[in-house]
Amino acid sequence: MTTFTETRIKIPMFSPSRVWTIATGTMTQLVRMKTFYFLLVFAVLVAAIGNIDIKSASSVSQLETIKKVSFGTMDIFAWLYAIVATALLIPRDLEDRTLYTILSKPVRRIEYLIGKLLGVLVLIAASLALMFTLCLLMLAYKQSGFIADEIKMLQAAPNVTTAEIEEQVKLIQRQGVRPELAVAALASFLKSSVVAVMTILISTFASSSLFTIITSIFFFLIGHAHGMMTDFWLHKTEGNLIIRMLTKVFKLLIPDFQLFSFSEGIVIGAEVVPRVVWSMGFLTGGYLFVFLLISLMIFLYKEF
Amino acid sequence: MSEPAVEVKNLTKVFQTGSPGANVFKKGIAGSYVVAVDNLSFQVNSGEVYGLIGPNGSGKSTTMKVVLGLMSPTEGSAKVFGLDSGDIKARSEIGFLPENPYFYRHLSGEETLKFYGKLCGLKGKALNDRISELLEMVDLEGARKRRLAGYSKGMLQRIGLAQAIIQRPRLVILDEPTAGVDPVGSRQIRDLIIKLKEEGISVFLCSHLLEQVQEVCDHVGIIFKGRMRQEGTLEELVSIENRYSIVLEDASPALIKEIEKLVAKEKGASIAEQGNPKTTLERLFLKIAGRKESDA
Repeated sequence: MTTFTETRIKIPMFSPSRVWTIATGTMTQLVRMKTFYFLLVFAVLVAAIGNIDIKSASSVSQLETIKKVSFGTMDIFAWLYAIVATALLIPRDLEDRTLYTILSKPVRRIEYLIGKLLGVLVLIAASLALMFTLCLLMLAYKQSGFIADEIKMLQAAPNVTTAEIEEQVKLIQRQGVRPELAVAALASFLKSSVVAVMTILISTFASSSLFTIITSIFFFLIGHAHGMMTDFWLHKTEGNLIIRMLTKVFKLLIPDFQLFSFSEGIVIGAEVVPRVVWSMGFLTGGYLFVFLLISLMIFLYKEF
Repeated sequence: MSEPAVEVKNLTKVFQTGSPGANVFKKGIAGSYVVAVDNLSFQVNSGEVYGLIGPNGSGKSTTMKVVLGLMSPTEGSAKVFGLDSGDIKARSEIGFLPENPYFYRHLSGEETLKFYGKLCGLKGKALNDRISELLEMVDLEGARKRRLAGYSKGMLQRIGLAQAIIQRPRLVILDEPTAGVDPVGSRQIRDLIIKLKEEGISVFLCSHLLEQVQEVCDHVGIIFKGRMRQEGTLEELVSIENRYSIVLEDASPALIKEIEKLVAKEKGASIAEQGNPKTTLERLFLKIAGRKESDA
């Protein structure tokens, strides 16, 4: 028998507008919680890095160092932000019982999870864009200074041709602002996205934000030891059975964050290989899909 | 006859717990089991106010969560307007106000209602009009732009009630709606519940504040240790069958004497209570608070 309610209400299987409502709510929440204050710390750090003056080093190696340190800092800030911001969401909604009021509305649990993740990803992208702009500004400033100093110095030196000066300028420019650096920022975004979805998964069964943060950082660090784990898996057949089993479980469950290190080469001037970038994009998509699916399976049967 | 708003049949909810508690009934390899709700059945008719009362830990909130679809029953069933409570369609018809709600404190009253309204599929002018209507109804028009972090407990309950009915549900579920709220705030919530009833909305409320339940409920169920102990209309539950009371105003002592004589004449009849009827402390407080407000 069809009830009155059944005939009256039509709820779509998936509602992008509800997902977007939760995503925008998440963004507002994180922005108003002043989580963006870390960008100020980053700005101060970048300014400090830019002012490091290594007298003995050449302009080229100084630029390389500045790039490595500032992009490395940007990467750390991005994944740390991904963990902390994500960990503040679901456990806090549960602690504050806001989750009850949301899930008692016609909201599917998958919409809630995707909405939360989407909100965090948009904020990570926005914060990375800001940090990337800061890095570029600082790099452009240092690059123009180095080029001016180099030209001045070479022009003062005897027997230096214009071609030689141009060559030297090109060398500095190669370590300065280049469009390829955007790919390095993209790699940081991909890595942070995987970190965020891993944190979402942990928060579906975690009891508090603190537990989620600590566990996520722990798994993130283990995710950098995949090379070591592969070696152990393939070559170490002896030893403690439990450790060997744990190695296999960790290797299968924890994302390989080492793979995202391809950006380090790009930062110091290596060529961008489009195939690598595409495959990293697909890999990130795969991680997002699988982790979201596992999160949903846990969240779907969770009782509040 | 219209469909019942809530129909709970033989509901049992068992939790696994690590630590033994008062209701622990079984211990197994996987730990202890607690029966939070035991074979509970009741019905909330369309348009009525139903109060489920019982002490803390009696199973009220668990029952409520099963009706809301936040938990699934171990045995039995819970239906909302004929739909299984786990069905998302049922939640379109429900508005819920949890005990001591903590909404997003960074949002203003208006933003909170907008957020929940959008989740229910409302948008544009219809949503904005509904928000204004509700803010006026719960008397929070003046705090429209203020963030919830600056709201008092009573204001939070009222904005909570507004979010619960944003999509014009046919059933409103309230968990301890006046817990921790002062008598004035409590009175406002009760008036709102009565208003909901007048609008034909079914209300299912859980409380351990008996006087409050007595004032607004048509039907009452008394739950204790997960079991329904007594159920019926308020009249059935509270009236004393062999007693009858008449309250007189401005009666002379002679008239009272006359009545006493009449009663004494009848065999078996006696005056059980006599004296000036008492007001409640709450009514007295409300009267004084109301007077102070009008003086100011």
